[in-house]
Amino acid sequence: MTTAPFIAARQMGYRYRINGNRPILDAVDLAVERDESLLICGASGSGKSTLCRTFNGLIPHFYGGILRGEIKTAGRSVAEQSVADLFDRVGMVFQNPDVQLFCRTVEQEIAFGLESCGLDPTVIRRRIGETAERLGIEPLLSRNPQELSGGEKHLIAMAAILALKPDMLVMDEPYANLDARHVRRIRTVLRDVHRSGTGVVICEHRLALTVPDVQRMVVLNGGRIVADGPVDTVLRRDLNAWGLEAPLPVTIGRQMNRTPLPLTVADLPTGAQIPVSLDTVHQPDTPVTAGSIVIEVNDLTCRVGEQVLLDRIDFRLRQGECLAVVGANGAGKTTLLRHLMGLQKPSAGTIHLMGRDIAGMSAARLASRIGLAFQNPDNQFFRLKVHEEIAAGPRVLGRHDENWIAELVDLFRLNTYLDRAPYRLSGGEKKRVAFASALAARPPVLALDEPTAGQDFQFRKALTKFLRRMRTQGLAVILVTHDLAFAEQCADRWLLMANGRILVDGPPRQVMADSVAMKQAGLTPTDRFVLTNRQAREVAHA
Amino acid sequence: MLDPRTHLILALAFGALVVFSRDLNWLAGEWFALVLSVICVRKAGRYARWLMIVLPMAAFFGGVTWWTADLRAGATAALALLALTTLFFLFFALTDPEDLGNALVKMGLPYPVAFVITAGMQFVPVITRRARQVFDAQRARGIELRPGWKALRHYPAFLTPLLIQAFQMADGLAEAMESRGFGRTGRSFMKTHHMRPRDWATIAAGLALVAGCLYGRYY
Repeated sequence: MTTAPFIAARQMGYRYRINGNRPILDAVDLAVERDESLLICGASGSGKSTLCRTFNGLIPHFYGGILRGEIKTAGRSVAEQSVADLFDRVGMVFQNPDVQLFCRTVEQEIAFGLESCGLDPTVIRRRIGETAERLGIEPLLSRNPQELSGGEKHLIAMAAILALKPDMLVMDEPYANLDARHVRRIRTVLRDVHRSGTGVVICEHRLALTVPDVQRMVVLNGGRIVADGPVDTVLRRDLNAWGLEAPLPVTIGRQMNRTPLPLTVADLPTGAQIPVSLDTVHQPDTPVTAGSIVIEVNDLTCRVGEQVLLDRIDFRLRQGECLAVVGANGAGKTTLLRHLMGLQKPSAGTIHLMGRDIAGMSAARLASRIGLAFQNPDNQFFRLKVHEEIAAGPRVLGRHDENWIAELVDLFRLNTYLDRAPYRLSGGEKKRVAFASALAARPPVLALDEPTAGQDFQFRKALTKFLRRMRTQGLAVILVTHDLAFAEQCADRWLLMANGRILVDGPPRQVMADSVAMKQAGLTPTDRFVLTNRQAREVAHA
Repeated sequence: MLDPRTHLILALAFGALVVFSRDLNWLAGEWFALVLSVICVRKAGRYARWLMIVLPMAAFFGGVTWWTADLRAGATAALALLALTTLFFLFFALTDPEDLGNALVKMGLPYPVAFVITAGMQFVPVITRRARQVFDAQRARGIELRPGWKALRHYPAFLTPLLIQAFQMADGLAEAMESRGFGRTGRSFMKTHHMRPRDWATIAAGLALVAGCLYGRYY
C-alpha cells in the first residue's frame, strides 16, 4: 500500500486580491514526501514564496485571495485546516528575520510556539535547551533577538520553528543578505535537520548555495511548474530560459558530458581537461581605462567609544573605475560608505571628493556628487508615482533635467511603471527605480549598497551590463557587497575589509589569492577563481 | 522576586499619590524618594540618560504653566511630570513586559490584548532603527531632514516611507505570529506567576504608605 504524500497539490491556482486577474500560481501539480529535501527555485515573481505559503495554510487563510484546485497537507485539505492546526507540522521561516522575532529574549522567542501548543513549562524548557544545543546558540538565550546579527537572527528564527519538531521545515530565501560565514552555518544546520528525518523545503534562486544540499528541484516560471525531478536531471535543462543561473561546476560538467553532474568545485575531477576556457563560461569584464582621481581617502578613522569601526583607511577611486568593498558582516563596509556620503563624521583622517575636502559639507550637498542606492529601496520612496520619485532628488538639488530622466527611464526599462506607486513594485523593479533616483542628479560617483541582495540572475546580468556602460561614460562606481561572484564580474578592484581595516586592496584575483587575508575576513573565493587556479596548477604540473 | 501584578498595583497606587499630591513640597519629596529607589535598584546610569530626555520636556511643560499661571504652579507641574515619568521608568526597569503580559492574562485580560502591549514595546527600537535609515536615505539624495525650516517642507519624505514600512512590518509580524501558532487556543506559559504572601505583604505596606501620605497631605 502506498501512503499519500505529505504535501499534495493538484491543479492548484492562486491569485492575490490586489493583483486583479493575474494568477500567481497556475495549474500546479506537486507531491512532496515527508522526509524529502526539496529546492523550489525560479526567477523573482515566479511564485516560489506564494507556493510555500500554501503548505501551512497562510494561503488562503491569512492572505485571502482565490485558491483553485486542491492542496492537501498531511492528508487533509489545507482549506479545511487553519494555520493554527498546521504551524507545528509545517514550520515556516521567512526571509526577513526582523519582523518574525518579536519577543524580548531569544529564550522567549523559542518558547512562543511551544506555548502556543499548550505544552507544560518543563517540556518547554527541555525543548529550548535541546534546540539551543543543536544549533549552538546557548550563549544567545538571554540576548534580545533584535540586537543580534542578521545571521544569528536567522538561526533564532529557525530555532523557534525547529523546537516545535515539525514534520517539514520550509525556508523562504534563507541566504538573502547573509555573509559567507553565516551561509555556511545555516547550510550545516539544514543538512543536519534533514539527516535527522525532518523534511526540508528551500525557496531560493541562488542555485550554487542550494543544489549540493537537496535531492530534488522544482522550477517555477510564471506561476507554473516547468521542471520537477532529481537535481541532476533538472540541472541539465535550459535554466537561463527560466531566469536562473546554473552553478559554474554544473555548466562545466554539462560541457564535459559528466554524469552525475558536478555540483561543487570539489566534484570536478582533478586532472580532467576542462574543454572550454573558464572565461567563456562566465565572461568577466575587462577593466575600463580609469581616469583622474574622484575620491581620495586618507587615514580615515572612526571610533565610537572604545570601539574602532574604521582604522586608518586609505584608498583612491578614479573616474570610470569600479571598486568593490567586500568583507563579512560588521567588517566596516557600510560605515565606510556612510562616511563617503557625509552621513557620519570621521574621528580622524580626510576624504577628498573631486579634489575638495568634504569636511563640513552636509550630506545633502554631497548628494549631487555621489548618488547612493541603499540596500532597502523602501527607505526612500515617498512619492505616489515612479516618475515623481526619480525626479524628487534632482528637484531639491536644483539639478532637474527632464531629458536625462527620460534617458534613465529608458535605460532601466521603467517606461511601463511611470504612473505606478514605487512601493507597489516588485523587489527588482524597486531596485531599478532606486538606481535611477541615485543617478538622476548626474553624480560623477555611484555607490550601491548590496545591489544584488535578493535579486535573481536576470537582474544581476542586466546590472552588470548597465554598470559597464556607465563606466565607459566616466562614472566611478563603489559596490558594497557580499556577492563575490558579482563583484568579480563587475569590479576591477576590491577592498577586502575586516574589523574596520583594509586587509588587501587590489584586483579580485590578487585579493582572493591572499588566502590568509580571505580567511581573516571570513570569505571564500569564488568557484571561478578556485577552478582557474586549479587549472593553472595542473597545467604547470603537466 | 515579586509578582509583576504586585509591581503594577504599587505603580498604580504611587501614580495616584503623585497625581493627587498637587503640592510642590510633597511632589519634591515623592520625586526624591523615587530617585532614591532608582539608585537602590542600581539603575542610576540608565536613569541619568532617561533624564536627558525627560528634563527638557519637564522644563517646557513647567515653563508653559508658569507663563499661563505662576512660578509655583509651573514648578509643581514640572515636578509632577518628573515624578510620574520616574515612576514609569522604575516600573519598566523592574518588570519584564512579557512577564507583565502573562500576569495580565492571569488577571483576565485577553491574550491578544496583552500581546499587543508587549510586542508593541519590543518593536520600538526596530522602528527607531528604520527611522534612522529613512533619514539617512533621504539626506543621501539631497533631501535635508535635519531640524530646520527646510526639513519642515520635506517631512513627507521622512514620514511616508516610515509609515509604509510600519504597515509592512505589521503585516510581516502578523504572518510570523500566525505561523507560530498565535491563533491556537489552549496556550500555556513557560513562566508561571503566583501571588505569594510576600506579594500581599508588599501590596499592603505600599497601599498603607500611599493612604498615609494622602491623609497627611489633606488632613
